[in-house]
Amino acid sequence: MDIIIMGQQLLGYIPLGDIVLYMAPLNLFMFAGALAFTTLIAISRTETQVEAGFGTLKDKEVKVGKEEFKIRRFLAIICGLATAGAMITGDLFNFTLFVCLIGIVNIGIVAAVKQVDVLDAAFQYGLVAMIATLPLFGGAAMILASTGTISLLEILNIPTTAMMIFGSLLLLLGVAGETGVAPFYATKAEMFRTPGSPFLLIIHLSSLLVIVRLIEILLIINKPF
Amino acid sequence: MSRIGRLWNSLATPRRIPRFFSIILGILLLAGFLVPMGLNNEQLYPRPAPQLQINEQDPLAPYDRGGVPLKEPGIVKSQYPEFSEKAGMVTGYLSPIAIGVSNTTLYFGTSIYSSPGGLIDEILYYSRGFDTILESSILMMAFVIASWVAINFTMRRREDE
Repeated sequence: MDIIIMGQQLLGYIPLGDIVLYMAPLNLFMFAGALAFTTLIAISRTETQVEAGFGTLKDKEVKVGKEEFKIRRFLAIICGLATAGAMITGDLFNFTLFVCLIGIVNIGIVAAVKQVDVLDAAFQYGLVAMIATLPLFGGAAMILASTGTISLLEILNIPTTAMMIFGSLLLLLGVAGETGVAPFYATKAEMFRTPGSPFLLIIHLSSLLVIVRLIEILLIINKPF
Repeated sequence: MSRIGRLWNSLATPRRIPRFFSIILGILLLAGFLVPMGLNNEQLYPRPAPQLQINEQDPLAPYDRGGVPLKEPGIVKSQYPEFSEKAGMVTGYLSPIAIGVSNTTLYFGTSIYSSPGGLIDEILYYSRGFDTILESSILMMAFVIASWVAINFTMRRREDE
């Protein structure tokens, strides 16, 4: 295939039936970045927070227990792999599935903490993530209905219609809900206030990378230039 | 100016976020009624017209894709036919039980025993198989989280000091 996507020459592709993972330089770089960070997380240990008591010597350590450490590491690795997959997938529906996997694993990473306000925030984030699956998959379905295909390599050659723009707006709202970007940041920001730093950072990194990838996909669908 | 500050403060409350998100989603969906429909008829994953197979008294309706197993491919379109060469070859397979049932009733296609050994959906399991893997792993992660929480917060619960 001699295809140019967003000014990048396609280096190669991995065909899995109709789902073609394509390797353009930017996508490969983000894929490798996500994988490298996942490896770092898989071999690291969690931090310990210290809650200082005023006027006393009773400083309290907030540690992560071994069981909790294991499940968090497992879910963080799954989250990293899903992020890496979302970076190179060449299929719109496949991308939304990866984003959905990232969303549910993000809840799981903080599901085991003992701080009540963090759990409250995670519950609200879970509600938003569940509502966001409607515009996420609805947007992908609308783009399939208006173009007849969901392969990004084919959408590249199809002129944009009003329904594709609406579908990509729905997709944008869905990803914004799943990743918790502004103005829906409050739930995710509260989720970070718990010990277990390297595993919590994958929540952050996955949101950032998915947003970058979403911008690329929206440019492919809408072709503003 | 203070009004904007109050707005930002209300956005920083996690409890309000789902409501806020749903309002924006509702407005967008209502605006969707104004968007002109432009459907593409050359669909990648086509379906027969609604009620067409039922009116033809086809016992496999609405899932009949035709084809003879291993001899003649059924109607399965794929985006890249070169990557799934054998598409459609087993889509018409019926197990002996399924053949027996489809000879007795007209409603075999919509009954519960039509999937195991009945009609194999090749779009799900062949040309878009990776999606099926991802869907089931989403479900598996949900079960992992739910069972971990159930075990460690109910069965093995220790009261913290």
